[in-house]
Amino acid sequence: MGDSKRHRILMVSDFFYPKFGGVENHIYLLSQCLLKLGHKVVVMTHAYGNRSGVRYMTGGLKVYYVPWKPFLMQNTLPTFYGTLPIIRTILIREQISLVHGHQAFSTLCHEALMHARTMGYKVVFTDHSLYGFADVGSIHMNKVLQFTLADVSQAICVSHTSKENTVLRSGLPPEKVYVIPNAVDTAMFKPAAERPSGDEIVIVVISRLVYRKGVDLLVEVIPEICHMYPNVRFIVGGDGPKRVRLEEMREKHSLQDRVEMLGAVPHARVRSVLISGHIFLNSSLTEAFCIAILEAASCGLLTVSTRVGGVPEVLPDDMIVLAEPDPTDMVQAIKKAISILPIIDPQEMHNRMKKLYDWHDVAKRTEIVYDRALKCSNQSLLERLSRYLACGAWAGKLFCLVMIIDFLLWRLLQLWKPADDIEVVPDIVLSHDEDRGISQDFQAFNKDHSLR
Amino acid sequence: MTKIQLANSQYLYKHDDCEGRHPLDIHHIVIQRNSALVFLVHLFALLLFIKAIYLCLLNGTLGTIFLLSMLSSACLVKSYYGTLIEKESVVIIPSLGVQLEAHYWSGRVVRSFIPIDKILKPVLNENVTPFTCYWSLVLLIHSKKELILAFKVVKPPVKLLVPIWKALCAATYSGETTDSPAEDK
Repeated sequence: MGDSKRHRILMVSDFFYPKFGGVENHIYLLSQCLLKLGHKVVVMTHAYGNRSGVRYMTGGLKVYYVPWKPFLMQNTLPTFYGTLPIIRTILIREQISLVHGHQAFSTLCHEALMHARTMGYKVVFTDHSLYGFADVGSIHMNKVLQFTLADVSQAICVSHTSKENTVLRSGLPPEKVYVIPNAVDTAMFKPAAERPSGDEIVIVVISRLVYRKGVDLLVEVIPEICHMYPNVRFIVGGDGPKRVRLEEMREKHSLQDRVEMLGAVPHARVRSVLISGHIFLNSSLTEAFCIAILEAASCGLLTVSTRVGGVPEVLPDDMIVLAEPDPTDMVQAIKKAISILPIIDPQEMHNRMKKLYDWHDVAKRTEIVYDRALKCSNQSLLERLSRYLACGAWAGKLFCLVMIIDFLLWRLLQLWKPADDIEVVPDIVLSHDEDRGISQDFQAFNKDHSLR
Repeated sequence: MTKIQLANSQYLYKHDDCEGRHPLDIHHIVIQRNSALVFLVHLFALLLFIKAIYLCLLNGTLGTIFLLSMLSSACLVKSYYGTLIEKESVVIIPSLGVQLEAHYWSGRVVRSFIPIDKILKPVLNENVTPFTCYWSLVLLIHSKKELILAFKVVKPPVKLLVPIWKALCAATYSGETTDSPAEDK
């Protein structure tokens, strides 16, 4: 790859390792694949406990844990301008050419994108979640999103449903929004050499036990299925505030021997739980993409899921049975899944998944978005302010004011600490073993995780 | 004795190489004083002093205000020279150890000595604060959890730290590790 096409990307999000989840996973694996494509990637997140400062991960991925304490749901306190000096320092010392923010809930991401635009950098934003329109929280959240996205170069969503949602929430022109689905590490999620034999059918549920994941639906579906099929057993992995509801249900219907509760399952152990079952049950009430379904399908499990958000886009029709988020419909779907189970071949399913989803493909598609973002024309402050002004009668003026103050502060910082005084960090070049698959990277990530 | 000098607007790097029966390798990082700030401190102290004399002549007695003014101007100058550091030095004594020195304007020198066999490796570290990033030169010590900062107060740019780090690497390199300073950089 020529040096001219080599991007220098700063990934910003409040959500990153050592916490574990879909966004964290996405940033890590995308960064690893981009590093392999020859780009430079630096991650910026807030400090987690005593994990503060600079860390290096597999493949020379540099992570800045900025010592701003999280205050709510792993988010840093929104200070608007507090992070400007450190973001400017990192952008200059790492010679960044493009800033990529992740997740609409991340305050650090919003601030970084705002400052980066003020400094004239091109920015890309990835939205990983669906969000409502009606409640007070959503209305405010959507206004913030409108503010950030008013000036973003390009945006990425993980599914078409998510794109529709983001466009409606933020008023972003649809031609600026790209759909790049998540992927799965098929090398890590392989089916078992031998399928669990016998008459018994095992249904696996792995998710955080929270309202959003539809635990209340499970509470009604599980006893019904256990009553209809004496040979069905459930394995429930995950923890959360709704766990007590499931335990109550288990006691009430005396299903202690039919419903196994595993508690929190570390990501490294997810495969071993998945391969002990035949059917994967996902009862989410809202979902932009759902990586859990991909992992289950990659392990050769037939999936039963609620038809919500981007879920119907994830798998081909013959690999998934969809149901409305309603207990009766879900019971019917599980019945259908049990009936078609004998014709499912886990290995064949795994091979199909291998062709469908690959993180390297995600990285290549993201690279195209970066190229297009860099081709966007540079705009003056006045041109950018006019965009903010169009955001709303009062909000527009407020956004303009926020941007003008940001611009003045940036100019002040330039006088106080000129860019020439900030030292550029030498790049650390690691020799890549070309044959090494992403699975090894992923295993290293899990190892890092276990070392926490 | 050879001297290598590197400098930026804030710091000056000096290198003394004493040869002889007891060779020493001394690296200094000297703080370059901002002349405007020095001028302001002295001007402020002088103004306080003049004000005190004026009040004294006006009243004809040595009042509390006079004493307070004198005391505060003295404190100002004392605090400026007394607590601030003039330079910090790393003295490498071959085959013996490393001495870290902090020279204050008051003439006070704080020294700490680390035997060579205790030093595992000198490291250039990147530090992140809520507002900025800077480099520091630290020493990894055998069987000790904390790192030892070579320069406790001064935060020179990495180009001034690299020659000191290389010298420390050369002094502590025992041939056990495979990486040389050049590879690390």
